[in-house]
Amino acid sequence: MKKFYKLTLLLGVLFCASTMYAQNISDMRLNEVLVTNTEGFEDDYGYRSGWVELFNTSYGTVNIAGCYLSTDPNNLTMYRIPKGDVLTSIPPRQHILFWADGVKERGTFHVNFKLDDAKEVLFVSTDGKTIVDRVAIPQLDTNQSYARKVDGEGSVKQESIIYKSLYKNMVAKANANDTETVEGWIKTNVPTPSTNNLTLDGESKGALMKEVDPYGLFLTFTAMFVTFLSLIILYVIFKNIGKFHIKKKSENAVKAMEGTGKSDKADTSGQVSAETYAAISMAIHLFMQDNEAHDFEDTVLTINKVSRTYSPWSSKIYTLRETPQLKK
Amino acid sequence: MVFEASILDNLQQFFLYTGFANVTLGHVIMILIGLFFMYLAITKDWEPMLLIPIGFGIVIGNIPLFPGLQVGVYEEGSVLNILYQGVRQGWYPPLIFMGIGAMTDFSALISNPKLLLIGAAAQFGIFGAYIAALALGFGPSEAGAIGIIGGADGPTAIFLAGRLAPDLLGAIAVSAYSYMALVPVIQPPVMRLLTTKKERLIRMKAPRAVSPTEKKLFPIVGFLLTAFIVPSGIPLLGMLFFGNLIKESGVTKRLANTASGPLIDVVTILIGITVGASTQADKFLQWSSVKIFILGAFSFVVATFAGVLFVKFFNLFLKEGNKINPLIGNAGVSAVPDAARVSNNIGLEYDKTNYLLMHAMGPNVAGVIGSAVAAGILLAFLA
Repeated sequence: MKKFYKLTLLLGVLFCASTMYAQNISDMRLNEVLVTNTEGFEDDYGYRSGWVELFNTSYGTVNIAGCYLSTDPNNLTMYRIPKGDVLTSIPPRQHILFWADGVKERGTFHVNFKLDDAKEVLFVSTDGKTIVDRVAIPQLDTNQSYARKVDGEGSVKQESIIYKSLYKNMVAKANANDTETVEGWIKTNVPTPSTNNLTLDGESKGALMKEVDPYGLFLTFTAMFVTFLSLIILYVIFKNIGKFHIKKKSENAVKAMEGTGKSDKADTSGQVSAETYAAISMAIHLFMQDNEAHDFEDTVLTINKVSRTYSPWSSKIYTLRETPQLKK
Repeated sequence: MVFEASILDNLQQFFLYTGFANVTLGHVIMILIGLFFMYLAITKDWEPMLLIPIGFGIVIGNIPLFPGLQVGVYEEGSVLNILYQGVRQGWYPPLIFMGIGAMTDFSALISNPKLLLIGAAAQFGIFGAYIAALALGFGPSEAGAIGIIGGADGPTAIFLAGRLAPDLLGAIAVSAYSYMALVPVIQPPVMRLLTTKKERLIRMKAPRAVSPTEKKLFPIVGFLLTAFIVPSGIPLLGMLFFGNLIKESGVTKRLANTASGPLIDVVTILIGITVGASTQADKFLQWSSVKIFILGAFSFVVATFAGVLFVKFFNLFLKEGNKINPLIGNAGVSAVPDAARVSNNIGLEYDKTNYLLMHAMGPNVAGVIGSAVAAGILLAFLA
């Protein structure tokens, strides 16, 4: 039985570990794709080419080193993102741009393929098999990009049975040449490489609260209500747990009394008064005295010398460990 | 001659590095405040565990520095700055909460759970100060951080101020800890004002014995419930209840001893000294600090008012014999165990045999939970 518990525990730990690993990479999303770039963003070498933007949807840093980018579902390991580059660690809620110029010698973020004839883009996990995200590229005009309306949000999930059927639908929609094609994705004439696709209103919660509740009454009422609610629920739960405990205790007491054959009613209040304790103590004391069950101590003190090997490390004089006492 | 001139030049240059060349009136005032804190702690025995580290920290933080030496608390990479990150990023308060949990016995509360409600009522102090801070011109985030002083909980105040108003953190932390030390001065007049002699003599029923099972269930149920309602309070609530569970489980005695002993001592030293050091004169001596101190006192008074009045109101619905002594209403703030001690002492003034300490510990520990919940709510709305 113990082996079973240990095995279960081990499997649990392994499962958690594998889930944690998967969570990291699976938080990455393809976020925006631009195929033909003649007027837009330039790379560090001054060239313009198509690009693929990835977005870290999580609130933790994700390292994408060792993952793959591809345009061919039959060859998922087309471009392996090199290890050893600190820039492959993507901070929380941040973007990273890969230039699809077909010249990987230009650095980590220049892939070995171009998007000109690509039907889709795939982002693949480090195992080279698990598709983390994929997007079908619709027909795009020059300098037009295909982007999520809100960073990281919208359709496209990891490969699964449900996904496969959804994906067919997505490809069909993407090729339908509509302005808005797949759920959450949009063709845009204003590409936003390495920045948010949708710039959210920068107003903080505090600033909003100032507008909505300038005197603080709404917040006060809400917060006090929630505080009371939390503690009232806790009160109700422990009131009942207490009642249950008292009931159980009195039931046990009744059983014990029945066992002794006495008919006295047990104390059902769940409380034992100080007088009861005093009476019990006195009874025990008298019983011991009458039966001479308790002997008198002979009050002999024995002092044995404890020998200790001297060391300056244990010396109070050398280490000055005495704590000064305040004299009043 | 050249040699002498060179020596003089060197000495003159060295003088410019010393504190004497860079001292300002602000530094002197702050050093005097630090010394005063240490005086109160050593001679009056007022919260020495807090006021000595904070007082000495104030002195450390206000030694006039030549900028760029990388020793100041606000200079990135300095030792003090690294230690200060525990305050700035909010690592220390949850660790202190774990220690508090491992030290706290919730029996008084479990045996009489209605005392939980007093702990909720006293949180009015937080929101009273929040409304007042808004009226004095602070923004909602700053007002929330100031309001939490009314929770009478230093770690919670630091945790929230670090998130909502980092610029005011020093003033809020010093204010919170100062008023916690002043609980025996602030609360009794309010308690006497709001109660009649008859009410002060109310004797409460002895608390029933609490089973170990109930004690083990309390942190688990308490955490699940409060965390589901206020997830933003998880760092504080989680550590508080976790600390209590390692104590009550009975099988992790070593962990409980560490959390309630060496660990909380280490963190208290670090939090005290770095909070003190963060009160550099140029950042601390401002009108906003004065306002924060006034609002801090106000929040304590409101919390005491709310706690005592709530008990009086609650008594209207309780049967004779089950009534609560309103003198324990003040203990709804979470200054453990000072506020409970105040209830006991005032109670004993009117009846030498009426010990209220154990009863007051109920709302007192409920106040810790209540203030953590309130902090979570403020965080959710304002962060």
